[in-house]
Amino acid sequence: MWRVANSPRITVADFFAAGRAPLQLVWEANPEAAVGRIITEVALNRPGLALAGFRRYFANRRLQVFGLAEMAYLGSLPPEERSQRLRALGRVPALVMSRGRRLPAYAREVVEHLKIPVMRTQLVTGHFMNNATVLLQNMTSPRIRVAGTMVEINGVGVLLEGEPGIGKSEIALALIERGHSLVSDDTTVLMRDSTGTIQGSAVEITRHHMEIRGLGIIHVPSLFGIASMRNERRLDLIICMRKAENVGGDIDRTGLETASRNVLGVEIPLITVPVAPGRDLTNVVEVAALNQRMKQMGRDAARELDEKLKVALARKD
Amino acid sequence: MTPNPSSSAAPVTLTQEVVVQNRYGIHARPAALLVKTATQFACEIMLEKNGVKVNAKSIMGLLTLEGNHGAKMKIHATGADAAAAVAALVELFARKFHED
Repeated sequence: MWRVANSPRITVADFFAAGRAPLQLVWEANPEAAVGRIITEVALNRPGLALAGFRRYFANRRLQVFGLAEMAYLGSLPPEERSQRLRALGRVPALVMSRGRRLPAYAREVVEHLKIPVMRTQLVTGHFMNNATVLLQNMTSPRIRVAGTMVEINGVGVLLEGEPGIGKSEIALALIERGHSLVSDDTTVLMRDSTGTIQGSAVEITRHHMEIRGLGIIHVPSLFGIASMRNERRLDLIICMRKAENVGGDIDRTGLETASRNVLGVEIPLITVPVAPGRDLTNVVEVAALNQRMKQMGRDAARELDEKLKVALARKD
Repeated sequence: MTPNPSSSAAPVTLTQEVVVQNRYGIHARPAALLVKTATQFACEIMLEKNGVKVNAKSIMGLLTLEGNHGAKMKIHATGADAAAAVAALVELFARKFHED
């Protein structure tokens, strides 16, 4: 069972690093205050009401987004009240200014005094809110790192697991040669996204690479083209490869028994495949993926044949 | 997996802390050396950094740990020859993977 996961705690600096490119973030003030500053409530808030004076339900533990309305409202106040309203928000985790807006002098004074990190984005407020919400959810979703090679076979995400040396990478390589794609070699990060689906991806540092015994480390897209890689793929099936002599008799030969493993609270179908010399496992894995896809579409060959047998045998009574 | 002390048949896991001492950390060559050493033993060997555990018999797994110079790690070995395996790996760390 794989359910160790803790949602990671994220800091303002983590958010900035992850959002720099996709959200077009740059620092506007106090970047040093972002380090170690934990976002205790991982969400965004537009502080319009709080600026206007209604602070009872102010979500002060969230990132505060200043759009056109907030800045225009502050600008409409008498100069002496502007910094006072801003100061009344207290020491929020960070501010984000949208549409590339700069901090006015009075606001800069307040955030420097309170040591609040401020970033700005070129995006318009609505667009930023949507994209930043998805990013924050992905950053905080429960995840674990597991030993296993992940491939995508005709749209089915398959995790191959088994002890080192059993041949996971070799099978992945053979599948790539047949036009399927690699998600991760040897170590896979599994994450439960906001829809409750398990997504697999590679660890950033070794992404796109595989180790093949006898060859060493290879760069997969250089050899097989960019279509041979997937950055992320839904996990549909786990195939556990075990040496035939260790499996013994306890293996389902009909396909009627369905095993599964709990991954971060989601049951994922699990097949155990015995590995014996001379067995073409690439074919077996490929067919297992196709069979899984058929099951997801509502057809179960083992069960259908069994039903047919039962009807035929009943007639013979 | 944690050992179960109530059952005498349950394998015991030996754990030893180590520090990455070579200048460039666990890059490809030290990882290969670790794997080569680890695969000489039958026991299961895991290497852990900051709560993330990987199999010490896998090069790609070791590389994902990003074991920089000065990183603290733990060796966990489970099986009959665990003590010898831990000793061999500790020596590799101490000898800076024959680098520097």
